[in-house]
Amino acid sequence: MTKFLLALTAAASLAAFGPAQAQTATYTVDPTHTFVTWEALHFGTSTSRGRFDKKEGRIEIDRSAKTGMVDITIDMASITTGVAPFDTHLKSKDFFDVTTHPTARFQASGFSFDGTRVSAVKGTLTMLGKTQPVELKASRFNCYENPFFKREVCGGDFETTVQRSLFGSTYGLPGIPDNVRLLVQIEAIKQ
Amino acid sequence: MKMPMVLPLLTSSALCVGAAQAREALQYTLDPTHSWVHFEVLHFNTSTIRGRIGPVNGSVLLDPVAGTGDVRLAVPTATVSTGIGVFDARLRQDDLLASTAFPEAYFIATRFTFNEGRVATLRGEFTWRGVSQPLQLTALRYACHPDDSADDGKGAPAEVCGGDFEGEVLRSEHGASFGLPLIGNRVRLLVQVEGRRPIAMPKVKTP
Repeated sequence: MTKFLLALTAAASLAAFGPAQAQTATYTVDPTHTFVTWEALHFGTSTSRGRFDKKEGRIEIDRSAKTGMVDITIDMASITTGVAPFDTHLKSKDFFDVTTHPTARFQASGFSFDGTRVSAVKGTLTMLGKTQPVELKASRFNCYENPFFKREVCGGDFETTVQRSLFGSTYGLPGIPDNVRLLVQIEAIKQ
Repeated sequence: MKMPMVLPLLTSSALCVGAAQAREALQYTLDPTHSWVHFEVLHFNTSTIRGRIGPVNGSVLLDPVAGTGDVRLAVPTATVSTGIGVFDARLRQDDLLASTAFPEAYFIATRFTFNEGRVATLRGEFTWRGVSQPLQLTALRYACHPDDSADDGKGAPAEVCGGDFEGEVLRSEHGASFGLPLIGNRVRLLVQVEGRRPIAMPKVKTP
């Protein structure tokens, strides 16, 4: 947390001497309000949920030109479900094989807008060494002046469903389902 | 030739006795690996903060035929996990989860509705921070299936029932009003729950 605040302070002092504002604003992901939560149905009965806790990334948005860019990296070993043996299994070769593939990466430049709000982001997800197209749809999006950072923060809730078999993850199919719903909370601080 | 007749007769007479007496509700033991409370709170009207609490402990009695049930859940709030350690510690403090003064939140439900044998809603009281308020949990899905995976260590056949339930708590009604209104008042609860019960299988004699 301290490191994060220091980084923010450093970024703030740099920005003060930065060039005159271009239309494109750059945002650094706020790791305390950015999470990927996944949902998978367990034996057709109840929904198991898990979360990836470590991530970093950068976002550029030009709300007048309605363009943008996202590049987010997820630390796959940071997966947590609350059940330690389950986490261990998820990190193993049966699922995410985090030793061989320590990160997943979402890169996107296909931004759709509804007015000035981002409504969808089309890009690619690279996981287990395979890259597949993914479209994140916004269930909400907003920008606000954050009183703690004294900066604009933009963010929202996004979701998509990925078919894990397309990434070569086939363990336990079909009892453990192919479709995994991703719920993405994101907030990013203007630099 | 008579034997095959005798068994069904015995079974049906046993059933008749059972029906005459009070039918026993089915008792399920919660599966700690699939019984969690997830919560969602809106942050600055912008994005959804999510957290997990659990596993949930408790007792579950269901009688789908009578349309009744009794569910008593204890939610250990100090287990809160949002992915940010300092945030979890903040949440446990006295003005939010109050985990020291009130280590557990409780949901006690005695009013049930069923839909074709499946739990549809549970209504009862949610006690959090020592304040009780009515709460309804609504099933988003509910299913039962046989399970012989022998998790009970005996290899006995069992039935697993469970589902996803949704409810909403206004945290101000429980006195947890820190951070309002920037951090939302509505707390959406998503409860994953699975329970199992052993099934007494009739022994079949092989000739």
